[in-house]
Amino acid sequence: MMNADKVLDAKGLACPMPIVKTRKEMKAMDSGQVLEILVTDKGAKADLTAWAKSGGHDLLDHQVDGDVLKFWIQKG
Amino acid sequence: MTKKTAIIASNGGLFEAYKVFNIATAAAATDHEVAIFFTFEGLNLIHKEANQQLPMPEGKEHFAEGFANANVPAIPELIEMAKELDVKFIGCQMTMDVMGLEKEAFVDGIEVGGAVTFLDFAQDADVTLTF
Repeated sequence: MMNADKVLDAKGLACPMPIVKTRKEMKAMDSGQVLEILVTDKGAKADLTAWAKSGGHDLLDHQVDGDVLKFWIQKG
Repeated sequence: MTKKTAIIASNGGLFEAYKVFNIATAAAATDHEVAIFFTFEGLNLIHKEANQQLPMPEGKEHFAEGFANANVPAIPELIEMAKELDVKFIGCQMTMDVMGLEKEAFVDGIEVGGAVTFLDFAQDADVTLTF
């Protein structure tokens, strides 16, 4: 388990909502802070990975917990 | 350097609406500068009344249930989101003239212009798409 500064619950939301909401949360955070994101959209794994890369953020880890995918992204 | 995504929306069905607004909001959320040129039937996507009830392709009506189950946002919601993300909407003046439509018939905040308005934005775009 990683420590997150903030948690975004995007469970049940379809593309592109998890990305749109992740961006919104990240905007309000400081460089170096970690956002934990919970999603059920199976496309989010590839999407959040690409999103983090393109924005210069670090995808620190991801885990699968039943139907829920968890991601930890550190703001770059 | 900010990346730019230029989109032409020239079809007016529900599927096209999702293709256009999903890509547009995803690009904007990835910090692209995004402009969409709405032309011909594509204008339906931003028409205040028409965009509330965009048609499914014939024979595909059964997908309505799938849309509901997948919890996909409604088109007006996606439009609001796109506007929040500063996606630029350009309505095609020529099509509006042909169809007898005024700017007021469309969602707030659109710009009305011709092909060159779009081309000016698109000429140095990193991603260019047509739907």
